[in-house]
Amino acid sequence: MEEKLKNRHALAVSREYPQANFTWIISLILSLIFLGNSFSFKTGDMNMVLFAFFIAYLTTALFQFFIAWRMKHDLLGHGEIRKGTRRLGYVQLISLATGNVFAAAFAFNIINKRKTPEYTFAVYMFLTQLFVIAISAMNIFKPYVTDTFPVAMAVLLGIALFHVAVLIIVAKSVKEVEAPRSLGVVAVIVLLTAVTGNIFALLLGWSLLLKSMSNDRSRIMKWNVMWEKITRNSMAAMGMFFIILMLTISVVSRFTFDYDLAVANDYGNILQQPSLAYPFGTDNFGRDVFSRIVFGARISLIVGFASTVIPAVIGGFLGGIAGYYSTRTDNVIMRLLDILYAIPGILLAIAIIAAFGANTMNLIIALSVGSIPTYARTMRANVLMVSNYDFVDSARALGTSDMSIIFKQVVPNSMAPMIVKSTLTIGGAVIATSSLSYLGLGVEPHIPEWGNILRVGSTYLESHSYLAVFPGLAIILLVLSFNFLGDGLRDALDPRLD
Amino acid sequence: MGKRLLIMMLALIVVLAGCVKTKSDVSGEKESGETKGGGGSGKVTIELLGTSAGEEDMNIVRDQLIKNGFDVKLNIQPDYGSFKAQRDAGNYDIALSSWTTVTGNPDYAVRSLFKSDGDNSNINDSEVDGLIEKASTETPDEFKETYKQLEQRIVGVKAYIAPLYISFKAQGINNDVLNPDTVRLAKSRAIAWETIDFNDAAKRDAAALITQQAIGSLTSLDPIKGNDGSINTLNTNMYVRLVNLTDDDQVVSDGSLSYNYAIGDGNTDYYFILRDDINFAKVADGKAVDTGDRVGADDVVFSLNRAKDKDSVPDHRTYSLHESMKEVEIVTDIAELEEAKVSGGEGSVLEALGAGLESEISELVDDKTAADSSAGKYQVVKVTTKEAFPQVLNYLAHQSAGIVSKQQVESINTYDVAAFDVNKDIPYGDQRTVTEGATYDNHLYASGPYILVKKNDYQADFVKNPAYRAGSEFEPKISEVTVRFIEDADSSLSALRNGEIHLFNGVPETKYELVENDDKLVLQKNDSNAVTYLLFNGADREVAKSENLRKAVLYSINQDEFLNFYQGNKKKAYSTVSPLVDTGNELVADPAKVKEFLAEYRAE
Repeated sequence: MEEKLKNRHALAVSREYPQANFTWIISLILSLIFLGNSFSFKTGDMNMVLFAFFIAYLTTALFQFFIAWRMKHDLLGHGEIRKGTRRLGYVQLISLATGNVFAAAFAFNIINKRKTPEYTFAVYMFLTQLFVIAISAMNIFKPYVTDTFPVAMAVLLGIALFHVAVLIIVAKSVKEVEAPRSLGVVAVIVLLTAVTGNIFALLLGWSLLLKSMSNDRSRIMKWNVMWEKITRNSMAAMGMFFIILMLTISVVSRFTFDYDLAVANDYGNILQQPSLAYPFGTDNFGRDVFSRIVFGARISLIVGFASTVIPAVIGGFLGGIAGYYSTRTDNVIMRLLDILYAIPGILLAIAIIAAFGANTMNLIIALSVGSIPTYARTMRANVLMVSNYDFVDSARALGTSDMSIIFKQVVPNSMAPMIVKSTLTIGGAVIATSSLSYLGLGVEPHIPEWGNILRVGSTYLESHSYLAVFPGLAIILLVLSFNFLGDGLRDALDPRLD
Repeated sequence: MGKRLLIMMLALIVVLAGCVKTKSDVSGEKESGETKGGGGSGKVTIELLGTSAGEEDMNIVRDQLIKNGFDVKLNIQPDYGSFKAQRDAGNYDIALSSWTTVTGNPDYAVRSLFKSDGDNSNINDSEVDGLIEKASTETPDEFKETYKQLEQRIVGVKAYIAPLYISFKAQGINNDVLNPDTVRLAKSRAIAWETIDFNDAAKRDAAALITQQAIGSLTSLDPIKGNDGSINTLNTNMYVRLVNLTDDDQVVSDGSLSYNYAIGDGNTDYYFILRDDINFAKVADGKAVDTGDRVGADDVVFSLNRAKDKDSVPDHRTYSLHESMKEVEIVTDIAELEEAKVSGGEGSVLEALGAGLESEISELVDDKTAADSSAGKYQVVKVTTKEAFPQVLNYLAHQSAGIVSKQQVESINTYDVAAFDVNKDIPYGDQRTVTEGATYDNHLYASGPYILVKKNDYQADFVKNPAYRAGSEFEPKISEVTVRFIEDADSSLSALRNGEIHLFNGVPETKYELVENDDKLVLQKNDSNAVTYLLFNGADREVAKSENLRKAVLYSINQDEFLNFYQGNKKKAYSTVSPLVDTGNELVADPAKVKEFLAEYRAE
């Protein structure tokens, strides 16, 4: 009886079981989407490619359901997931071939019983690399590829192989709080591969260095706990994966994609349906929408990041000063910011763009200015709280200068909410960029930017809907990813939720 | 097994890598040749000005210029007003412009654009002026060659403009509501509302015809004070003219104020015999009422005299169309008509004017109230041109030659023209007087089939003139017409498809298919005189000084690509005359010439 109760508890606290369920449900939903799109209700034709995807995803979902059922059985019967069940994960890895990142992530997760943050990083690092290669490889169906393509692909493949090796080493040798010293060299090489934009490599390298070099157990534990909290949340991990994938693709596309295909008009290929050569079809000027979306990620990310970092820094600084000093300084700064706050952000942006012209730099400034006050308010609230803590008093007693106290003691301890807020508003910035371009106020119309692409698509919504669907999906996915990551970060960083 | 898979994968990649062609493989030699040939210092930057409505054309031009080794800076303005401000300020190298010859004659297509003293001209070339003047006096057979030379001078020799294409005209009609056979689509003239009828004739008085136009700010409802898209259709339907254009640009008396017209021998005298069944209408209490005041010869003389006189009103926008007229007078001496011979034919002017009339011309009267067609008492107006100029008839068919009420206009326009103050004086036809609100004071006198009752930012409401040829086949069928102001073509199309409007003139080329595939819509297509071209800055940029640079841009333009983009729904153009006169000139893109001219430009 007690055993049963214990096993029930094991099922309830298992982190892998909910993920298993999540995976089969989302695979099933995706398979249904493929099914719906494989059949044309107008003409009654079947799209065999999409139907094949439907079958593949359905199989994955059914197999995943089987694994989930086995896990439940194991947990209720034995209080833990048995080895045989974990081995099923190897079979589920095949789903990687269909691009089902949810099933693949789950499979990697279930295979390894001992989960360190390094293992998770290594898995996602490898997945990112694989997806980047897959996306870049779509170019071989084009009439021609850019000159650097063969070399770049070889390098990417080499890095991918190295990442597999690292993944195996990490799974085998990295422990909860320590790692073999020899891994330090590997860590440095992993860090180097982060130049492709693969932030997971950066995180893994840093984490490995920390564990192999440092003896500060509390620091390592803190690091572990934080990342465990973030990666426990499947959606946050997926969000982070997609953002980093977009980032890597933006860096790598420079060498694997041809910019001319995205901007040069090709009147022989106007409004082509999606095909292998043009995975997302071509637009009204015969430009490859797939290439345009890939290059558009760059602008969306740059503008999104920059228009979040700039107000975060300026607003953070002003908020820090306002929160720390007396009522007068506080009043002057905050009331001035209140005036700014009273102007609707998007209108201010439109006014700035209209006055100074449309280009990326002005776009960043226009979007930044409007969100300074909200960051200042967040920072000020935190500084008000933190500056009453004992360690601030002791620093003051030691005669430390105000500036030093603010920027060395107070601000670092007020950063967590700022980071969460930034992640959550970055999505808004991406939408604002696209909205302005959609209104014709963003970057020049021929430049591949997601809002621009969507604008062209919106006029062909009836006849060539794919022109609007794909850029729309890209915007939705990126914004959702930032929001999910933001939620995950909040859960991990917010002390109140501890 | 894993290793074997890995090796297989690697092998596959190597094989695939061998298969793919790189960009330089594909365009290797051509490309390297180009870079060598280009060998100058940096790229020439061209600033291209346009409105966001012309974004697609701008993109094509940008692409073509870039492929020919230019750098392009886009200057996209949200609306025509700011575009015009930028153009007037000279902030462009090339401006995307368009021209529609609404009078249907070639003289109008060149006079104001290319003549040194034209209203819209930035060209000062005496040879061009000479050719325009020469062509204007010639008959269609003769002027073909002259216009050919003129085109070659403007485009091929001097490259003042770079032509892009000729548009078609297309309108979508809701055939659930309207009878498509009653809706005209003319090549040049604005649409005539009076012929339009519902499928169900019983609805004529119960429902309104709802149509659309892009611009909601009306320049002026005084016909001579405007000549643009905001008022062309409205004034055409509000004021009757001496003659009209058919759908294929022939001058006729149908639907006009005249029964007949005749051209006197020598092509300088033009005679019009007037109808007696049209009265002016005015608006009272939101309804159109018959003023009892007939549209007569004195109104015609007054209207045409003020049309040709630059100083008759402040802000006169159309005098250059009517400058060819020397004199307008009422003919009272029947002997004059008997003596005058018709141009290029047998018989007297009197016979020509009397052809097909109910009762023979027995008397010509000066006073319009004395005219009575059934009793043989007619009014005749004679227009004399400075030189032989047969195309004057096209100008008389233009909306700016609409007949206004002498008595009403004189009673409103009491201000001094030289000291006119736009804030204080309210001229006849000012849109403020018909806009809902405090300034509303409708003083319009309409001689045409419809009269404007009121407007706001969203629509203008018209009602039919009760005294416009009542009982005849030209009596307006539908009693109310509403014009919605919808700026965006795609929104207008949506409005047409969901039944909000019944008629949409200006379906975009890329959307023909949508209209054709919609069961409740009919698409009408016709040729048009609208030409889109690039205007070079004539004042203070490099392109103004260097003919070679202009030519380099000119030969970068590939009209076939425009035709491709518009799915064949455009025609090639050589100048604004192209849709009117088949001169046989054609612009052929030539990258070799571009390089040549660019090299010469750099050597300058």
